[in-house]
Amino acid sequence: MTLTDDPAVEQAVEQAVARLADEFRTRLRPQVVDTVVRTCREDLSGVPATALPELVERLARERLQSVG
Amino acid sequence: MGYVDVTGVRHILPDGRVLFDGVSLRVGEGARAALVGENGAGKTTLLRIVAGDLVPEAGAVTRSGGLGVMRQFIGSVRDDTTVQRFLVDLAPPAVRAAWEAVGSAELTLMETDDDAAQLAYADALAQWGDAGGYDAEVTWDAVTVAALGVPYDRCKYRELSALSGGEQKRLALEALLRGPDQVLLLDEPDNYLDVPGKRWLEGRLLETRKTVLFVSHDRELLARVADRVVTVEGGTAWVHGGGFAGYAEARAARHERMAEVRRRWDEEHARLVELVRTLQQQAANSPDMASRYRAMQTRLAKFEAAGPPPDRPPEQKVAMRLRGGRTGVRAVMAEQLELSGLMRPFDLEVWYGDRLGVLGANGAGKSHFLRLLAGQDVAHTGSWRLGARVVPGFFAQTHAHPEWLDRTLVDLLWHGEPGRPGVDRGRAMAALRRYGLAAAGDQPFGTLSGGQQARFQVLLLELSGATLLLLDEPTDNLDVLSAESLEEALAAFEGTVLAVTHDRWFARSFDRFLVFGADGRVYESAEPVFDETRVVRAR
Repeated sequence: MTLTDDPAVEQAVEQAVARLADEFRTRLRPQVVDTVVRTCREDLSGVPATALPELVERLARERLQSVG
Repeated sequence: MGYVDVTGVRHILPDGRVLFDGVSLRVGEGARAALVGENGAGKTTLLRIVAGDLVPEAGAVTRSGGLGVMRQFIGSVRDDTTVQRFLVDLAPPAVRAAWEAVGSAELTLMETDDDAAQLAYADALAQWGDAGGYDAEVTWDAVTVAALGVPYDRCKYRELSALSGGEQKRLALEALLRGPDQVLLLDEPDNYLDVPGKRWLEGRLLETRKTVLFVSHDRELLARVADRVVTVEGGTAWVHGGGFAGYAEARAARHERMAEVRRRWDEEHARLVELVRTLQQQAANSPDMASRYRAMQTRLAKFEAAGPPPDRPPEQKVAMRLRGGRTGVRAVMAEQLELSGLMRPFDLEVWYGDRLGVLGANGAGKSHFLRLLAGQDVAHTGSWRLGARVVPGFFAQTHAHPEWLDRTLVDLLWHGEPGRPGVDRGRAMAALRRYGLAAAGDQPFGTLSGGQQARFQVLLLELSGATLLLLDEPTDNLDVLSAESLEEALAAFEGTVLAVTHDRWFARSFDRFLVFGADGRVYESAEPVFDETRVVRAR
């Protein structure tokens, strides 16, 4: 139930990165978005795989809004 | 695998009386132990002590393997508890705690959606996973499919009060039997279950490898499931190591043994007292005897201080005298009888002395049929009549007598009713004594236990001189011992008995059966039929 190599989760996280990069493209570079998402994912280690993509995206958006 | 070990447990009631003392029993791995005893003897209290809800005054309870408890009230839940909440409450403590944590983290997140709240929520979810919450949800899905026929996601917000008593019981039983707890305490798991439901329960209890301690009044269930019987009586508890089949014999033998031990103690006590008295007289004349006298005094004091062994528990003295009387050969005749909208027309002849069991689907009109014969106003077509000298006596469960609730037993007996002459206080008390109700004579009817109310109603039947007994579920609410005594009284009754029942053990004492089918058909059967399903009616 912790961080997995589940391809579906990987894919969902990649999609989250793409969505957030698009949403914040006027304010932040895609590399920054990518780094924040990866950090969030590490912070959320231990969260069950099924809930992970949604929580990662939510936390990353919250953090990106506070810096951007 | 789990076990329960109870050693020397004592419980004192708030008024200072000792409910039971020196209770020791062990329910080993995989055992299925039944807990029986009269109403009010302390079965539920003992179960609560084993469950850890109550702390015993003395003694200890040890157990292993995780404990799942099904309380008596399940089946009559009428508040706004949801299926989800109900299943969480039956889950192991770790799952319950994790569920509460997720719930409160969600609430926080709704109010303040910041970094900290999100991380707290993530943490709660992780703990939910670690506590086995996701596995529990998979189990709950299997549970709701088995008990209600729908997946968990579709019924988790449904209110428990919308489920029937039987569905509530099934839900709880499925959850406990499929859950991780290895020791199950079930307080009257068969209440609210119809006979197919009881058969299902028996099957599930027989196949589980868990350790089960259960309270039940259903003798058929006890006989099929229990591999040992724990009896709470006489202020303590004892264990019969076999099934219910040999229980009555074992109990009688135990009582005889206790009486014998007590008798020997009394004899020894009398002998010592006599000896002390003789030595006292001799000591007055001879100083040599004085020391022997003192020694004997000490011996008697020690003997008395050790106390007498417990006497045999008082027999529940119920002497039901249902006499009845000779009536016409035909007791009940019905032609093309139909209770409006409930069934198809049927013919029936009941002969003097018949024991007719009325069985069938819930809602098929069995109780209405009995009320009709009792002379109450029930809409019907077709004809029926009672034979010569047939006096009906009707017995129904308590809710049928709201006007009795606030009146005392002596008052009810004194006033009498049409067809039942009133009796003075002396005769009333004498009759109450025979039914083990003397102490409750000045109590309002409504404050009696179910078993006491049932016994009182049988007493009224006796006084009314009924020659045709119409009994509606007479053994419901009766403890095992009272039910046996009712059966004995009915066996001795000279007259005709019609009884609606779903008690399989009780039904064995009948020789004909009238079955009210779910499809509206009413038919006779030589064997009891219990698998008519519930009548489905548009609501």
